Amino acid sequence: MQGRENKKIGRIGEEIAAGFLKQRGYKIIGVNIRTPFGEIDIVAKKNDVTIFVEVKTRTSSSLGPPHLSITWLKQKHLIKNALCYMKRHGRVYSDWRIDVVSVKLNSQNESESIELIENAVEEN
Amino acid sequence: MIAKIFSSCVIGVEAHEVTVETDTGGGLPGINIVGLPDAAVKESRDRIKSAIKNSDFSFPARKITINLAPADIKKEGSSFDLPIALSILASEGAIDSSSLGDFVFCGELSLDGKLKSIRGSLPIAMALKSFGRKKFILPRANSKEAAVVDNIEVYPLDTLKDVVDFLNGRIKIAPQKYSVEITRHHTKYKVDFNDVKGQEHVKRGLEVAAAGGHNVLLIGPPGSGKSMLAKRLPTILSEMTLQESLETSKIQSVAGLLPSNKGLIVTRPFRSPHHTISDAALVGGGSNPIPGEISLAHNGVLFLDELPEFKRNVLEVMRQPLEEGVITISRVANRLTYPSKFMLVAAMNPCPCGYFTDPKRGCHCSPFQIQTYLSKISGPLLDRIDIHLEVPRLKLENLTDKRRGESSGEIRNRVDKARDIQKARYKDGNLYFNAHLESKELERYCILDKESEELLKLAILELGISARAYDKILKVSRTIADLDGKEVIESHHISEAISYRSLDRNLWG
Repeated sequence: MQGRENKKIGRIGEEIAAGFLKQRGYKIIGVNIRTPFGEIDIVAKKNDVTIFVEVKTRTSSSLGPPHLSITWLKQKHLIKNALCYMKRHGRVYSDWRIDVVSVKLNSQNESESIELIENAVEEN
Repeated sequence: MIAKIFSSCVIGVEAHEVTVETDTGGGLPGINIVGLPDAAVKESRDRIKSAIKNSDFSFPARKITINLAPADIKKEGSSFDLPIALSILASEGAIDSSSLGDFVFCGELSLDGKLKSIRGSLPIAMALKSFGRKKFILPRANSKEAAVVDNIEVYPLDTLKDVVDFLNGRIKIAPQKYSVEITRHHTKYKVDFNDVKGQEHVKRGLEVAAAGGHNVLLIGPPGSGKSMLAKRLPTILSEMTLQESLETSKIQSVAGLLPSNKGLIVTRPFRSPHHTISDAALVGGGSNPIPGEISLAHNGVLFLDELPEFKRNVLEVMRQPLEEGVITISRVANRLTYPSKFMLVAAMNPCPCGYFTDPKRGCHCSPFQIQTYLSKISGPLLDRIDIHLEVPRLKLENLTDKRRGESSGEIRNRVDKARDIQKARYKDGNLYFNAHLESKELERYCILDKESEELLKLAILELGISARAYDKILKVSRTIADLDGKEVIESHHISEAISYRSLDRNLWG
């Protein structure tokens, strides 16, 4: 029950994030793309840079801000996902980056605040 | 786009040119530095990122690869911050790169983009011409020492933003001028020989040592003024020449000891390491070797107080530098040579309790104890010390004497004269001082009159002076004759020189 609820919150967050990114001039080219290492929430493009977006959604701040849950291990997974996607499309040597959108929902599951962290994950 | 910026790193006291190449694009954002960087260089990426952001430039969110060429020299220190930051900005097109080829950049960055001082800017400035470049941009704190070098343009700057504005022609500054004449003021010391009461023969001995560059050993009971006398020795040494000043400043610059905005070192260094010093700290060393005390004392005085307390291996490592004036440090990674032409002044007590030569207080050391104490100083080391001076306990009438002795200035005038004589005499060889004479040259330069020859023969027979001590006596008497302004060594010069060999005469032990 809890799991299904979380998934729903996640989907809501991703939709809010996609809308937010479009406003910011991102061109969305794919959502929820599966790779052997997991799932990429949003793939977008802006200024000829491929951008992989990880969306984090929270309904309460009791566990801290949403983006805090992106741990070192999670970052490694994000990089692997992205590389997998780039390889699939034969574009390993072009520019790409990973952004994080953190969405906070209120009790009616409406967006309370939204924050974009560009270039959130770096090599080394 | 690939950007190229020139910088330099110092190995030993020699500067090598380093090219900083930057390529951006292709992959996940991040900075990768290659070309044998050490930890401080690797850490620079975090400083550079903040410095660029806080200087109102945008940091490219791209994969950045930085190469420090030649790739086989180990790069160390923080002076690559500025050239790396500039090459990143140049690769992004933020800098007009047409004029970059003339410049060499060095500097550490703080997070807010300010330039902080670096080590070794003087050797880099001196090597600039050999790189084929003539403009040097560096932090203001280091600019004076670099500006001493002729035929280069030194631009002192304060922030990363200023450097970029300067390169883009938005601000204009004149190259720093700092001529050596300004720094060659008459050296001032806080101490003077007229502070010392009595001890006239020790003062005379130190005068001879200063004139001929002889190493000195002071022997006396505690409180007799050995350290006080030694500390005043630099005040009677002749002024440094420009060449000496550059050599000494170069080492101090590499060690990061050159005071900022002072230009060159113009007073002869006086180093007095504590007797717990390790051999690496004395002669230089470490896995990334840095100059030790003997190199920091280059062209100056190294004072070792309580000589027998130094660890034996520490004293023995000084043999080669005492002989050759350089120290070669060999490590697995590299092999470096630092100059170390210093005058050794050592002080010691005559026995463990210290009062053996004191007429008032009795000594309670056994002959065996004294023997052990003296044997801590090896023969080969003692061999390299020309003058042994006994420093007696002061008498009451000396202590209460209101008259002041000769000032350092007066003594130095005589020393300078004696040095001029030596300079003229050795102008074709690579000798500077009588102390550096070899036995072959002794024959040529130390001409004795008949009387003094007789005296020397007698001394050898009666006092049991060794062949080694014979050479030393000749050298010292040569200096005494120079102080006297005589070309031929006379008998009173010889007898004074013999009086400086007290350890050979086995007065105790």
